[in-house]
Amino acid sequence: MTLPEGATTATGEREYLVDVRTQDMEVNMGPQHPATHGVMKILIRCNGELVTGAQPQLGFLHRCAEKIGENVEWLQYLPYTDRYDYLAAMNNNLGYSMAVEALMDIEIPRRAEMIRVICAELNRIGSHLIAIGTYGIDLGAFTPFLYMFREREWMMALFEKICGARLTYSYIRIGGVFNDAPPGWLSEVERFCDTFEKAWREYYDLLMMNQIFIKRTADVGVIPREMALDFGLTGPMLRGSAIDWDIRRDMPYSIYGEIWEDGAFKIPLGSGEMGTLGDCWDRAWVRITEMMESVKIVRWCLDRIEPGPVIADIPKVLRVPAGEAYVGIENPRGELGHYLLSDGGKIPLRCRVRGPSFSNLAVLEALLPGTLLADAVAIIGSTDIVVGETDR
Amino acid sequence: MDFQGIHDHLRAIEAPGLTGFDEPRKPNPEVKKDPGRAGDPYVIVDAPLLPDFLMVCREDPRLAFEILVDLSAVDPSKDDENLWVVCSLLSLTHKHRLAIKSFLPKESPVMPTSTTVHRAAQWHERECAEMFGITFERHPDPRHMLLPDDWVGYPLRKDYEFPEEYHGISCT
Amino acid sequence: MVLHQSLPESEKLKSGTNWLNEFLGTLWRPDFVPDWAVPLTAVMVGVGIVLAIASLATMFSTWLERKVSGHIQCRYGPMRVGWHGFLVPLADGVKLLLKEDMIPKGADRVLFVLAPALVMSSILGAMVAFPLSHEFFFADLDLGVFMILALSSTTTIGVVMAGWSSNSKWSLYGSMREAAQVVAYEIPLGISLLVPLMVAGSFNLIEISEAQAGWFGMHWFIFRNPFMIPAFIIFFIAVLAEMKRAPFDLPETESELVAGFMTEYSGIRWSFFFFEEYTAMFLFSCVTAFFFFGGFEGPPTHFAAQVFGEGHLVHQLTAFLTIAVKGFAGVFLMMWVRWTLPRVRIDQVMTMGYKYLTPLALACVLGAGVFEVLWHWGVDA
Repeated sequence: MTLPEGATTATGEREYLVDVRTQDMEVNMGPQHPATHGVMKILIRCNGELVTGAQPQLGFLHRCAEKIGENVEWLQYLPYTDRYDYLAAMNNNLGYSMAVEALMDIEIPRRAEMIRVICAELNRIGSHLIAIGTYGIDLGAFTPFLYMFREREWMMALFEKICGARLTYSYIRIGGVFNDAPPGWLSEVERFCDTFEKAWREYYDLLMMNQIFIKRTADVGVIPREMALDFGLTGPMLRGSAIDWDIRRDMPYSIYGEIWEDGAFKIPLGSGEMGTLGDCWDRAWVRITEMMESVKIVRWCLDRIEPGPVIADIPKVLRVPAGEAYVGIENPRGELGHYLLSDGGKIPLRCRVRGPSFSNLAVLEALLPGTLLADAVAIIGSTDIVVGETDR
Repeated sequence: MDFQGIHDHLRAIEAPGLTGFDEPRKPNPEVKKDPGRAGDPYVIVDAPLLPDFLMVCREDPRLAFEILVDLSAVDPSKDDENLWVVCSLLSLTHKHRLAIKSFLPKESPVMPTSTTVHRAAQWHERECAEMFGITFERHPDPRHMLLPDDWVGYPLRKDYEFPEEYHGISCT
Repeated sequence: MVLHQSLPESEKLKSGTNWLNEFLGTLWRPDFVPDWAVPLTAVMVGVGIVLAIASLATMFSTWLERKVSGHIQCRYGPMRVGWHGFLVPLADGVKLLLKEDMIPKGADRVLFVLAPALVMSSILGAMVAFPLSHEFFFADLDLGVFMILALSSTTTIGVVMAGWSSNSKWSLYGSMREAAQVVAYEIPLGISLLVPLMVAGSFNLIEISEAQAGWFGMHWFIFRNPFMIPAFIIFFIAVLAEMKRAPFDLPETESELVAGFMTEYSGIRWSFFFFEEYTAMFLFSCVTAFFFFGGFEGPPTHFAAQVFGEGHLVHQLTAFLTIAVKGFAGVFLMMWVRWTLPRVRIDQVMTMGYKYLTPLALACVLGAGVFEVLWHWGVDA
């Protein structure tokens, strides 16, 4: 066998097995791939089943939300907020409305605050249901997903009753909420909570405690504390690594401070129960446990809600005082921040959206190398990204 | 710590690049048409020293800003000769936030990368770079983030002109 | 240790294609039809019947899969086409036939076309060794089990060919996984099968079935020997892995590899892989039934034999129905597992196959052998 010129290894040794020399393979995971939860591409470099490098590539769902924000009026921008994290549109509405209110100094009616919190928490439940359900699909368990859709369906029906839309609500407005809850709605929410608590046990036993699920997620994709802080992770990603931080408690907005003082909810933290602290199982566990805490918050509000106005007096054409404000709220996926800049006019000068998925996704670059291809899917699933939000 | 406390502490430790601050204020009735300013207070930091400033903010035990929540830029208007780079820091230990603003001249929008301090800055800076045309020196991965690699112009600048077509696809 | 006698030669002649052959020979035929056309026709008819059985089993299985998954997931599944969607597989078949047949540009055309054909032909070849009743079969092979195992393993070659020729990286991953997985699980599959084989003392499926005829048709191997139950579990797991069924569907893994080795296939070629999967499920469920759950035997077959006599048409029909019911019960079990469990990872699959199932299967063989010898020594002495 004649060796080609320069067939030597990096160290200068002559390589004899030139014919079987291997090289890493680059695989495009996406843009059309079931595991990327939307239109996202991850360029993965593989050595057999072993991932040696990963590079998320975004922008396939970029809809210029920030540019649009600079061209429409304050109130007109609200429907666009629905579209970035379309699984938690209520929370997005809330984040944007609160950012505008921070500039405007408006008194929000108490009933509106209550309804806001109920809707935001119901939406958090719905969003986490999708997160856990699709995580199950990523790992090959199809059935829990459809069980979870059963409850999510009811949640969406509740939203449909209150605002007419099932996914993009635009219900929480600047100054309050769009309209009052229809008669009987609050008692139906109560019934939903009762049913959900029973169903939750089912999900927990069926998926979280499944031995194969545990084997697939425990010790996989471990995010140590330093890494979580360095990458600016927020939400369940942070709490999965046992970093005790929840904006609802630590920098309370709306009426969350009051609810926390009342001891109505807890902040679940990853414990490394099944493997290492900060692994995929911990993150999934934080999400599934948070749903129960959300139910408790909803119940707290239902017990105390009283009749009253639901929206402050807001002019049709809004002029927001000049200034700039950054408001971060706890979305299901982490901190959703709106940085708004106003010059006192009808349209914003800058409408910056800090999506939690964007920062949470960045960690993949550091997390994926050294895992197996199947683990890569498990890790991507555990970051629970919504591509609408990473690309905006 | 509230903003005043943070600012005083930054002054006391002589944080690098700190040049001033701005606070919201009520409109002054004596000045005609004074809009006042609403919203958050922020500190103003020299753009070339921003990474050092972030480092100090993170390492100082009384500030302990562990998380860089957001890094973005603003083009306030067509006529303004500066771009603003705005950051938001968050301290989990002390439960406080800090807004930072730096000014970058539009003629040469170059500043050092903060990726060395917070890796979270990496993607935010990439987005900033493509949207505003800011060059972050020594950035480890200076590719486009959301826009196609061959996109011309910086869309979030106020003087951006929307292209007529992109690879034969009409954009109007 | 011969527990029973095989059928005498004259009896065998009455069966399967031979029986058809004889029957066709008695019919009037024009002079220009040569003699060799008769056995050829008989074989063709036999092949047709095999194909029909395989197709029917597949169609019923796909319908069952939809209904089972639907009902597991709190929904109905198909309800519109026919009674409870019974005709959906037929509509599917028409759709798949009419679909555009695409071959990717960079694909190796020859292998790409050959792969589904190989997969399909090997599983149909395995079906030939599957007896429909005591006296109706197409190849009463003394090494029937062996043939089924050998031919159904050949599908792996087709799968590897498909993955390689597709010129897609995901397909390649799928086929490599398939190869690794099948090699790992052939071993426990074969070894765990040795346990009932040892007890039966034959490779012939009909004889194995007849060995379980006692106790009013309930003298099944699974009840016979404490080592049968672990052997059955090992066999079932290995079958799942061989069939690429969840939780071992790593060659397909829709969430990781898009569709694995089938990513680039469409239309009728794709349906061949699908066909193979469902036929193999049914076939291996029947094999499981033959080896552990009495095969044709069961109280109905026993009483049919008592009432109508051995070999009577009713007896044969009961035997056929018994094995079909057992086969679909196995298929149902596989579906139940699929729609309940998440998928395991490739290294876990390998670990399980090589580290646990293979030694356990060997232990079962040893245990069962010792048990049988001691038991019969005690009984016979």
